[in-house]
Amino acid sequence: MRTISRKLRGTSSVVFAPAIAEDHPLKIAQFRAWRVKEPVSNRRYTVVRLQSQGGVSGYGEGGPATAAEIVAARVATLDRRATESEFIRSALRRTPALEAAVNNAMLDLVSRAKNVPIYQYLGGPVRYKARLLGHLEGTGPAASGPSLERAKRQGILAFTTAAPLRDAMIPLRAYVDLVRKQYADMQALAGPSAEWVLDAAGAMTPGDAATIAVALEASHPIWFDEPTAVTSPDSLAKIVDESVMPIGLGRNITDLVAFQTLLASGSVNIVRPNLALNSLTKIRRVAALAETHYVGVAPFHDGGPIGSMAGIHLNASLLYAYAQQIPVPASDRDAAMRVEITSGLKETGDKGFFALLNRPGLGFEVNEKALDARSEERI
Amino acid sequence: MKRRDVLTALAGAGALTATSRRPLNPSLPHNCGCAPQIVTAKDKPPGAAAFHGVGSKLRITNMRVFGVTLDERIAQADRPYIFVKIETNQGVTGWGEATLEGKATAAMACVMDLKDLIIGSDPMQVEHLYQTMYIGSFYRGGPVLGSAISGIDQALWDIRGKVMGMPVYEMLGGPIDPRGVRGYYHADVWTLAEAKELRDKTKAAGVTALKFQLPDLLECVETNAKISRAVAHMEMLREGLGPDLDFAVDFHARPSPTVAAIILREIEPLQLLFAEEICPPENVRAMARAVRHSTTPIATGERLIASYGYAELIDMGVVDILQPDIAHVGGISALWKVSATAEASGVRMAPHACEGPIGGIASLHVDAAGPNFLAQEICGFVEAGEKNRVWEDLMGFPAMRMIDGRYALPTKPGLGVDISEAALKRYPFQGTRPFVMAFHEDGAVGSI
Repeated sequence: MRTISRKLRGTSSVVFAPAIAEDHPLKIAQFRAWRVKEPVSNRRYTVVRLQSQGGVSGYGEGGPATAAEIVAARVATLDRRATESEFIRSALRRTPALEAAVNNAMLDLVSRAKNVPIYQYLGGPVRYKARLLGHLEGTGPAASGPSLERAKRQGILAFTTAAPLRDAMIPLRAYVDLVRKQYADMQALAGPSAEWVLDAAGAMTPGDAATIAVALEASHPIWFDEPTAVTSPDSLAKIVDESVMPIGLGRNITDLVAFQTLLASGSVNIVRPNLALNSLTKIRRVAALAETHYVGVAPFHDGGPIGSMAGIHLNASLLYAYAQQIPVPASDRDAAMRVEITSGLKETGDKGFFALLNRPGLGFEVNEKALDARSEERI
Repeated sequence: MKRRDVLTALAGAGALTATSRRPLNPSLPHNCGCAPQIVTAKDKPPGAAAFHGVGSKLRITNMRVFGVTLDERIAQADRPYIFVKIETNQGVTGWGEATLEGKATAAMACVMDLKDLIIGSDPMQVEHLYQTMYIGSFYRGGPVLGSAISGIDQALWDIRGKVMGMPVYEMLGGPIDPRGVRGYYHADVWTLAEAKELRDKTKAAGVTALKFQLPDLLECVETNAKISRAVAHMEMLREGLGPDLDFAVDFHARPSPTVAAIILREIEPLQLLFAEEICPPENVRAMARAVRHSTTPIATGERLIASYGYAELIDMGVVDILQPDIAHVGGISALWKVSATAEASGVRMAPHACEGPIGGIASLHVDAAGPNFLAQEICGFVEAGEKNRVWEDLMGFPAMRMIDGRYALPTKPGLGVDISEAALKRYPFQGTRPFVMAFHEDGAVGSI
């Protein structure tokens, strides 16, 4: 319990020096972006490519962004050095999707320039493989089946399963039974080696979420994800005080203060910064916060394959990183497009883990022709 | 059998959990029963076979520790510098500082205690090695272990920067401002005339901030005489220094929270840069009692270890400024983590540095990449002294001297320092000396 809050503080604004005028091999000379959409799921993301004066390119992915936001980000980024991640974190804080895309592209660029994997640049590997969490499409066994089958073929052993929504006409007891049954059905479908995260996507009231948390805690989901969209400490206390179910939160949060509030109030057991809205640079700061509370980090991800791989590099560099969520398309067309973008690299694991790539930058070549062909717009 | 051999043997023995209680291999050391022999990785540092496919080809081949004692007429006798040098199979070397006031021999020994975890490892795995030393040491902290880790961690970052061909602050996302970072010097004046003279010298040197001490030792409750003298001293400083020169006052944990609250109340109009260590650091709630009635910025943290040591201060919103010491907190890795956690609560950073020059320079790298950085300390004065000559002898340049109120950022890869081992021999280690003590007039131990 907080006994004192001497001053309610926000993060302070900081004055950055102007871009350094002289030439430098890591100075960003070109900025290009694609607004990408997957054909069946309609999953959208933004891919940014930066090129330095030295001729090295780096790619980063963020969430959907408008053309105007992309143009503004280009203005902020050009002529900066690719190492100036703190400047970009500040300059693009109001367009978090682009903060993520640009900063991650800078990391890829610098790591390629230095001929090391991103995880090496971030502090070196703390593990040699990264646990994958398959983000299944659909709700319930029938709808999630194709996605689950693909995920199993991809060597993934842990999955998210979407909790059903509660219709106002459904009594609470019936709703609890429905969630419990669907969870059990998904367990049966995947087999005994599967582990599960129950995903409410912020759709429950704190009261319903507390009831579900208590009802399912003995089933030992790895965690209960985004049980509610009401993330005030008092509302979340209803859930965390009444159950021992681990709670995952953070997919919609873009500022460090909100993560700190969740952690300081003991409202979260695993923080889930969204790769669409937070760069690796920013998530490392979230992870530093979480570490002091012994809380794990598992970035949320429902974007493209470049984001998936960036998340794996982050996972490799953080002790308290638990797993990287990977979207698993139900559609073959979506899946094919993702593999096309990564020039054939698949988001697959072996016994639940992705073996780290010991190659520069992200570790694969981005197929720009695929981006050109698949994007809604190229900027 | 060396510890390294034991680890290898344990790894070969496979996993033995606390609950399985299978008989131990007779070749293993005695298991007391309270320390389960769990080994699940393919290997551990050193060796790190599990990482052969993902790490670098660099390996640490040697780690040396140097004690450096300066003449006590030019530097405090309680803090001989402890420098750590890490050597690799590819000729890249790194330097760090593990100086610990009053516990030099213990810190040097602790550095060498960690040698078995370091030699043979990949120096690029700085986070993994930090966690190996911190978690793997079981006791997770304390100033001796913290200082030893600090020295090693700085040296690892130095190597990382040299291998990448860039200063460490660039690897941390900086610099915020390539002109350097704001600093302050220490000062000591007792009269208004002295304060005015100091103001002129400080301004002429381009320095924008200073730090002073309280005039007396203080007890758990205090007399009007001592409280008034403390307040009057600070009022004299403000009058002499003028309104546009920042100054901080280091209470050095002399007052109790009770006394600190009274002093803080009275000095609010002086608008200090900050009041430092207003009471002893162990009890955060007690400190909170003292600060809740004041708007004077409160700074603390030089005695805390690892980012965990700061969590309660940050979560409870007790302080405005944190002051980890890079030679104790856990090096660059830990200082950066504290800075990151502080930023999320709008807490600024003014890292402590009252030891040698390597730690001071290492701090600059983290400062330069921190959006919430405020000012960097160094134990130096507006007028350079004999100690600065020694630092120049050791480092080859006038280390940690401000230009226009800023410490310039190193531009060479790594930490940007190159220590002369020949110069180190001119200041041979002469053993540990205790931290200076102070006593109240009745003979009781005082906090200095």
